[in-house]
Order: sequence, then structure tokens, then C-alpha cells
Amino acid sequence: MTGAAAGLVDRVRGVQLSGLATVAMLVVAVAVNSALQPNFWDSYALTSNFATFVPLVAIAVGQTIVVLSGGLDLSLGAQVTLASVVAVQVVDGSLDRFPLAVAAALGVGLACGALNGLVVALLRLQPIVATFATSFVFSGLALVVLPTPGGSVPFEITTAYRDSVLGVPVALLLIVALALVWLVLRRHRVLRHVYAVGGDADAAYASLVPVARTRVWAYVLGGLFAALSALAILANTGSGDPFVGNELTLASVAAVVIGGTALAGGRGGAGGSVLGAIVLALVTNIIFFADVPTDYRQLVNGAVIILALALAGIPALQKRRPSA
Amino acid sequence: MAGSVALLLAACSSDDGDGGDGGSGDQPYTIGLSNGFVGSEWRTQMVDGLEEAFAEYEAEGVVDELVVESADTDVNGQIQQIRNLINRGVDAIIVNPNSETALDAVFREATGQGIEVFAIDQAVTSEDVTNVVIDQAEWARISADWLAGQVGQGGNVVVVNGIAGHPANEMRWGAAEQVFTDAGVNVLTVADGNWDQATGQQVMTNLLATYPDVDGVWTQDGMAEGVFRAVDAAGRLDRITISGEARVGFMRLWNDARATGFQSIGVVNPPGGAVSALHMAVNVLDGREFASGTIDGNTVHVPIPYTVDETTFDQYWGEAGSESDAYSLDGSLTRDEAADFFE
Repeated sequence: MTGAAAGLVDRVRGVQLSGLATVAMLVVAVAVNSALQPNFWDSYALTSNFATFVPLVAIAVGQTIVVLSGGLDLSLGAQVTLASVVAVQVVDGSLDRFPLAVAAALGVGLACGALNGLVVALLRLQPIVATFATSFVFSGLALVVLPTPGGSVPFEITTAYRDSVLGVPVALLLIVALALVWLVLRRHRVLRHVYAVGGDADAAYASLVPVARTRVWAYVLGGLFAALSALAILANTGSGDPFVGNELTLASVAAVVIGGTALAGGRGGAGGSVLGAIVLALVTNIIFFADVPTDYRQLVNGAVIILALALAGIPALQKRRPSA
Repeated sequence: MAGSVALLLAACSSDDGDGGDGGSGDQPYTIGLSNGFVGSEWRTQMVDGLEEAFAEYEAEGVVDELVVESADTDVNGQIQQIRNLINRGVDAIIVNPNSETALDAVFREATGQGIEVFAIDQAVTSEDVTNVVIDQAEWARISADWLAGQVGQGGNVVVVNGIAGHPANEMRWGAAEQVFTDAGVNVLTVADGNWDQATGQQVMTNLLATYPDVDGVWTQDGMAEGVFRAVDAAGRLDRITISGEARVGFMRLWNDARATGFQSIGVVNPPGGAVSALHMAVNVLDGREFASGTIDGNTVHVPIPYTVDETTFDQYWGEAGSESDAYSLDGSLTRDEAADFFE
């Protein structure tokens, strides 16, 4: 394992110091978790862990894009909820209708993202306040679509989600796929514009970057990743729940920060957020297997996340020092 | 049907190869508890009661470890709780589920690892799980019967329910409505109080203003206290009969109002269901099968422990009066009573 870690370290040396801090945290989290949990590398434990990670990883990628554009989306969790209840109502237990449900979820993500984008970019409301407000619209709509928990996802989907292909958990493949989608987007003009607008909107405007349109795009992409997160949640739970995604919002912001993306915008990337999301989920595991009494878990969890956020911020501090 | 479920359960426990140090009749057992809501005294009583009963088994060497996963969380969090318990290698999981359907897939993971799963308080749809719950319909029928007797044929009642569409609410109201129909009691209206005391009080205040000729109110759980306060504030306690609850807060109001002739009823909804489930779990892990007739599909109904009414009030108030207002009167199966559910 140390060899693999060293290889990883070599590969990221050229990238960013903040990325290094994230990888170091992941290595520590995996080491501690596997020391505390004897069956950590067993196939069931691996599969179930990755199955837990996917929804947070997907929403963290979406949040990264919004943050890179200089915004913040506090409605992403509510979008996950709304997309998941719409999809579960559409699929209604039938495998034939699953593609339709995927399309419906993506449609919801697209519409929610477009609404946020318009409110932020055209009405020029503060992203935090605007998306906080739209989050109530989305979670309210979710309650209208599915007033009480229910609905069912086809058995084939929930089973495949927990399966593995040639020993590799399907959920891990999904995480790799999400990272690949990010890498493809990263090369696209829209993402280059997102970086430019988030870094310095005025300079971007002067360079003929369509600032408002780029901001709308960032929220739309955020919504699409929220929809993917919703589909992962459905595959994980096998059923709909009108409150299911709301707690993911703040976790997605934490994952972005642990991943080394600057909340000011313009710097960072979703690769770090993917690792950040995994670190966050592993922390919950570690606290359980360390036998922290149940009353203290939230406290310890919060303290560890603060520590991780601080560690993720150190490289940025060092970068700032020479210029100060 | 009952037999096949029992066989299924037995099969699950007998091929228990990787479920930690357990197996059919292979003591000591490790037990996990998953609880996804900690915001009420009821849940605290549930966890404390289970820990007490567990300590007795532990002293006898029947069980060795109780892994408690108890935190305010959503369905995702509870799935992770249950996965942690599976990875911990427990032999049985007792779960108070946050959803009746959304945990089905993770329950399948647990039984796939040879773990017995018991749902308490809220029954779940998964056939992999044994529900150990009180019969909500029976629970509702007892207080509805009493109220119907008080207001008599042709009496007018209003209803303050929990949340429309919630499974427990539907089961309870379905049974109570039948009682009122059979007894010739008029149900003037049905309103929702969200199982919240303050909301219940607000709803009842509105109902009192709308319906001047109310003889009785049928309500559920903590809303009884809110309904009582609303009726009291309107000065109509002497004319309106209220179905109450077996919690100290309501019983304190009840006790104070008895001097003026106020009567009520409190049917116990016991946090001790977790203890009953623990006894069942030990029996199942010992390889015993449910006797036919004790299990309906995958649901075992444990009897409602007792009811507080005018004749028993002094006894139960004497026992519980010193507890905090949030304390629920409790009860659970004894080991011998639990053993009677098995062959």
C-alpha cells in the first residue's frame, strides 16, 4: 500500500499542493479505517462502502463546478430530493421505464439548475440567499410529488448497484465514470469559461467571455450532477423518500473544500472533491469503528471535519505568504 | 405462509458462516441496534431499556456485545448505520426504521450475510425482516371504544389525527373509524395535528370555534396534551370527553382535572418493544422457529401491555408520577412470554 501511495504522490507532485493535502488525508483515512475495521478489504465491506460514497461524490462534483464559477448552490440537496422522487414516481418498479426515469431526473436537474442560474446571473441575487430560497421551492415540490415515502425501484437496478464486475464494485466504476465525465468537461470551452469567470469576472468579461451565460451553465451542470446523485440514491435505497437528499448540501460544500477548491472560485477541480467526499464518508466509518460513544459521534465528526477543512486550507496559506 | 417465513429465518441463521462469531445456537451473540431519530424521550427510553435487558443476557453469557447506532439521521445515514453493523459482524440487528420501504435493499444485504433483522415500532415492507410491533389497529380500537361508550349513540366527535398518509396513522384511524361507525357515533370532522402537541392545540382551538356541539375528541399520542389545553382554555372540559395517552405530561393534567370529574384513557405505546424484540432475536438465534399462528406474514404482534383508565389511574400514576413529563408508560414481554411465541 505504501508503494501505491508513493506512486500517487509522484503523480500529483506536479499538480497542486492542495491536491497533495487531500490525497494525504485520504491515505490517512484509509489507513486508520482499515486498522480499525478488520474486514475493511473484504468484498462486502468494499462494495457497501463504495455504494455509500457515490451519491455524495456526484453532488460534490456538481457543487465544485458551481463553486469554480464563483457561486455556491445551497439547493443542490433539495434538487437531489426532487429529482429522486420524480424519478421514482416515473419508474414505479418497472425496468422498462428506467431510461425514462433517468431522463426525468436529468430533466429536473436541468430545470432546477437553469432556474438557479437565471436567478443568480440575470437577477443578480447573492447565490447563497437565492439558492437557499430555491431550496425550499424544490423540497416543497418534492413533497407534492411524493407526500409520503414509497415507490419502488426495479430489483435489477438495486442488485446491479451492489454487484461487482471482475471483482471491481460497480459503485467504484460509477465513481470512476463520474471522474471521467469531469475530465471530459474540463477540456470543454464551457468549463474554461467557468474557471475564467470564477477567477476574475471583470477580466473574463473584458476577454469576451459570456459571463452571465457561463454562470447559468455552471448551475445547470450542478443540477445535472445532482440528478446523477439522485439516481445513485435510488439505486442505494430502492425506494423514494421526500427528505432523502437535503442533508447532502452542506456535505457537498465540505467535500469541495477538503478537495482543495477555493470557495472564492476559479481555483481547484472536481478530482479533489471526489477524494474529499470519500474522506468525509470514511470519517463517519472511522468514528463508528473507533467505538466513540453514540452521544459523542456528532461532536467528534464535526471536530474531525473542521480539522480536515483546516488541513485543506494550509497549502493556500503557504501560497499566499510570499505575496503578503 | 407463517411456516415458510419461519423456515426462511431458520435457513438464514443456519448458513451463517461469515456473520461474525455467531451462528445457529452458537452463543454468545452480538446484537446491533440502529435508531435513526433521537429527538424524543420515547427513543431514549427505548435504548436504555434495551441496554438493561441486554446486560441480563450478558451476565449469563448468552450475548457478548451490543453495538448501538443511534443518531438523528436520514435514510442514507441509516443505511450506513446498518452497513456498519453488518461489517461489525453482528448476529442480529434490531432497527427502528426511518422508512417503511427505503431500507429494504440494505436489509437484503444484511440477510445475505446471514444476519437476522427485527424491525420495531414501525413495520417495514421487506420480507427479509421480522416486524415485532404492537397492533396499531388494536391500539386505536381500545381508546375509540371507550370514547364511543362515553359519548353514546348519536354523540358528536371530532378527530385530531397525526399525518394523513402515514402508515401508522392510516392503520389507527381505519380501526377507530370503524368503531365509531358501528357505535353510531357521528364524526363531525377529521383534522391533522402532525403528532405535534402545539399543532394539536392550535387545530383543536379552531375545531372548537367551528363546531359548538362537540361531545368528544379522539386523538393520538402527544397531541392529547395540546387538545386538553385547548378544551381547557375554552372552559369546556366538563362537556367534552378526550381520549388521552399514557405519558406523564398528559397524566399530570388528567390528575389535576380529576377533582372536577374529568375522565380519560391512555393506551400504552411501549418503548419496551425493543426489549421484546431482543427476546425474540435470542430465540431465533438459538435456532427456534415461530409457532404457527404467532406470526402473520413476517409480522409478530406483541400485545399492548396495559391501559390507564379511571379504575387503574391511581396505581399507574403512583408508579410513574415522579418521572419527567416526557416519560412514556412502558412494558415489554418477559422472556417466558416471548418464548411462548416459538415452537
